[in-house]
Amino acid sequence: MYVYDAPYNKMRSAEVMDCHVLVIGSGGAGVRAAIEASGYGKTILLSKTLAGKGGCTPMAEGGYNAVLREQDSCEIHYGDTMKGGSYLNDPELVRILVAEAPERMEDLLRWGAVFDVTDCCEVAQRPFGGQSFPRTCYAGDRTGHEMMVTLIERLASTDVKVISEVTVLDLVVESGRVVGALGLDGKGNIVAVRADATVLATGGGTQIYDISTNSSSGTGDGFAIGYRAGAELIDMEMVQFHPTGAVYPYDARGRLITEAVRGEGGVLKNALGERFMEKYDPVKKELSTRDVVSRAIATEILEGRGTAHGGVYLDVTHLPRQQIEERLPVMLEQFLKFGVDIREEPMEVAPTAHHIMGGLRISPHGETTLPGLYACGEVTGGVHGANRLGGNALADTQVFGKRAGESAGRAPRRDVRIGEKAIEAQEERLSLFLGGEVPPSTVVRSLRTAMWEGAGIFRTARDLEKTLGVIAHLSSLPLLARTRENLGECCTVQNMLLTATLVVRGALLRKESRGAHTRRDVVQAWDAQTSPYGHTYQSLTRSGIETVVRE
Amino acid sequence: MMKVHARVFRFDPEEDEKPHYQNYVVEVNEGARVLHVLQAIHDEIDPTLAFRYCCGAGQCGSCAVRINGEPGLACMEEARDGMTVEPLDLPIKKDLVVDLQPFLATLPRICPRGEPEVPDREKVELLKPLRSCIECVCCVSVCPAMDVASFDGPTAMRQELRLALDPRDKGGDRVREAVSHGLFTCTSCQACWKVCPKDIEIPGKAIEKLRALANREGLTLPRHQEVARLVRETGRSIVRTGPTFLEDAPEVIEPDGPVKATVGFFVGCMYNGRLPQTARDAMEVLKRNGIRVIIPREQVCCGSPLIRTGQVDFLDTLKKRNIDAFVFRKIDTVLTMCAGCGSTLKNDYRTPFRVMDINEVLTKFGIEPPARLPVKATYHDPCHLLRGQGIRDQPRELITQVVELVEMPSICCGSGGGVRSGMPEVAAALAENRRKEIEKTGAEIVVSSCPFCEFHISEHTDRPVRNVTSILLEGYREKDRKKAKGTVSS
Repeated sequence: MYVYDAPYNKMRSAEVMDCHVLVIGSGGAGVRAAIEASGYGKTILLSKTLAGKGGCTPMAEGGYNAVLREQDSCEIHYGDTMKGGSYLNDPELVRILVAEAPERMEDLLRWGAVFDVTDCCEVAQRPFGGQSFPRTCYAGDRTGHEMMVTLIERLASTDVKVISEVTVLDLVVESGRVVGALGLDGKGNIVAVRADATVLATGGGTQIYDISTNSSSGTGDGFAIGYRAGAELIDMEMVQFHPTGAVYPYDARGRLITEAVRGEGGVLKNALGERFMEKYDPVKKELSTRDVVSRAIATEILEGRGTAHGGVYLDVTHLPRQQIEERLPVMLEQFLKFGVDIREEPMEVAPTAHHIMGGLRISPHGETTLPGLYACGEVTGGVHGANRLGGNALADTQVFGKRAGESAGRAPRRDVRIGEKAIEAQEERLSLFLGGEVPPSTVVRSLRTAMWEGAGIFRTARDLEKTLGVIAHLSSLPLLARTRENLGECCTVQNMLLTATLVVRGALLRKESRGAHTRRDVVQAWDAQTSPYGHTYQSLTRSGIETVVRE
Repeated sequence: MMKVHARVFRFDPEEDEKPHYQNYVVEVNEGARVLHVLQAIHDEIDPTLAFRYCCGAGQCGSCAVRINGEPGLACMEEARDGMTVEPLDLPIKKDLVVDLQPFLATLPRICPRGEPEVPDREKVELLKPLRSCIECVCCVSVCPAMDVASFDGPTAMRQELRLALDPRDKGGDRVREAVSHGLFTCTSCQACWKVCPKDIEIPGKAIEKLRALANREGLTLPRHQEVARLVRETGRSIVRTGPTFLEDAPEVIEPDGPVKATVGFFVGCMYNGRLPQTARDAMEVLKRNGIRVIIPREQVCCGSPLIRTGQVDFLDTLKKRNIDAFVFRKIDTVLTMCAGCGSTLKNDYRTPFRVMDINEVLTKFGIEPPARLPVKATYHDPCHLLRGQGIRDQPRELITQVVELVEMPSICCGSGGGVRSGMPEVAAALAENRRKEIEKTGAEIVVSSCPFCEFHISEHTDRPVRNVTSILLEGYREKDRKKAKGTVSS
């Protein structure tokens, strides 16, 4: 007979809520999905943070790619995206992205978004890396924030029930179908939501790295939750290192310095004052794709041409002051806070873990491989291939947010309940934390260092194997929650460990260098276009790498 | 690494009867922010400490707290040894976590027409600064008017203007909505602007703009219209009730000793018409301290009562007359002693001369030490001096030379922004809060440096309210008396 221990007894019975569509995540993709789903029936949006303040969308600075001009075309945007993604992208998803990005931009404008405009009253666009045409729409350098404010305003006019500050524990699967999710509120009580269709929009997870641009919610929850429920993930090894993160002060390292700085004309120089990008990509220089620029900066630093703080210089002092003040106000403000006037002196930058291109495998309609589960935004894989172009992520949130929300909304009503068993299983998982030993913060610190050192920009099988061993060890430690309010932290750490495992396993599966994934121990006779490999895939039941048969 | 001592507010409404403070010592990296200290406490000492944060980059507005009393973002403000960290002045959920949602839910939201149109560039430039708000609610935490009046608060007004300016909104008359939600209760104390992490100038760039739109719709308060009529007809914002300062003042006042500086004096309506004796006291003090004062008679109202209430059509005439009056006499430094006029001349005018407040002039050129008076005084920071002109230390430097100073929190007295004339009950309620703080200090007199504050506070406290220069003059008189006595006795 199972005897309930003391803390277990203190648990209050779960409150079960019911809806047609459950959306998990309150960034750009989640809110867009919820807005769309609300037209089909009762929709609940669960947010780990205060809805509208969480995720990485409000932090996204540079812009939103959309074909808006006569001289540009979807075909060119498609070509840029495929090339930038080293042709690992799912072509159908890319076709949808480029075709629908302008329509979703119109939605935002319809709902009140204030983008920068030209004198001719058109949405202004600027150049970003890897583009054949300057097609990045922007609102200064707070584009994501502008979108988020607009989306939250729109959300407020729908009937969506927003539940903030609930940490999702797991999806509930009954007879092979997702029927909702269980979460934890701030007090550590279990919250259950039953749904006909569930949309995962939890964003990315580069918080698993020591140096990261992600908000505190970028802990890979959706990858882990989806994987545990049985969904298949692809290309998890594809982690984008943004070339320009802050390097000091220590606690601000990794903070995003937008690509718009280079888009506006900022140049990169090493400690010797050389404009080194001329060496790595003589044509596009600073506006090469992120994988190329990141490797270039990392190489300069590794070869001893870095600054005292371990970075390189990013300089805009040659630009007119007014241009910096108007187009890069957030950058200016943030650096001033840290004692640097970017109008007068160069910034110091180094690569920082930014975006996970891999994620849940989706159909063009946002369906995952698991019935009842839909996904959109950074938690999905396939759209960006092996390297994402700057400005394509915000577009992705809107295009696939709408699609996933719509598909979930169209899902048939079902008469299923969340069984007691699922709740009991979670209660049991949680009760272990209350009797644990190791503080979550200790585990996180070790994980981040291990990932940065062993699964960063440059990778080898040996380092990856070693990292996998460290993660396995960390995963075996009994996490401690001092009070019920700390239970969520333990669950988050487990999600981070699982996400890291998926990244490293993916990196071992892909024995080639491609896009953001650089294997120093592999000599290959092919380039991206002639690679024999397709997606890596991982699920509870199978893992491997697809091979491509070329004519 | 550096060691940081932090005093942190702790309160669990479900468990504790009342809040308490807990002291912690943590090691953090050089350049660490307040957030990193909180994280270190949570990770290494006390995982029960509750605080909210998300982006860590000043963009989401989740982590606002009060640091040594001043609201700010924990992720952006540098950690200081010995700091006190408290929640915003809002309902507390636990420790540093406040309930933001009821407030955020009241913010007006756009009702779009449904067309994907783009506002023109001019509109976009007006809208952009209003859009940078991250809804951290720091401004709500410090707004004095929200405590006493039915006012939706600074960021709600910012949002109302954003909607009023956006051609895509069909949510009705946003200006009228703003008026009904308390537009005229704002005293333009600027506390909201000074704490805004995004530096949004809500009083000048939202409140006053909305009031100007309200003016076009005929929604200006009758008392404010009366003031505007008066300015237009007489050049002054107050009715003449007796001899004014300018009527009696000489064109030039030569100092007693060598000339340290020459200034032109901008007297302002209140000192001219209501408190001329205070202005004369100030002239005495300047005279004694080597400041030569030129007083152009043709100067008029600075226009502040019109700007604050959104009645700006007559403004350019006033500006021109005032600037001409000083330029004609080749004056390169204009002295103000009214905080409101000083702030207006510095911030709303483009003057070919330098504008200095009397506290700046006296501390810059130095004063003869007065005799000490056996009086305990407290100082009221005028909003338009402290926040409008950034003048905090200078009046204190002067006051402490003559009396003992007991500090009190810098809060608005309620007289500014046309609130005293337009919303007297709100002004009175704010003054009541001011009175309570004065009472707590145990001071015998209140010293200030703004005629509006002096006049308004004196109506709401039984303590005498004196101008900085008036008590200096008293100190000089006491010194002279002692000296005379000494001469007689010797």
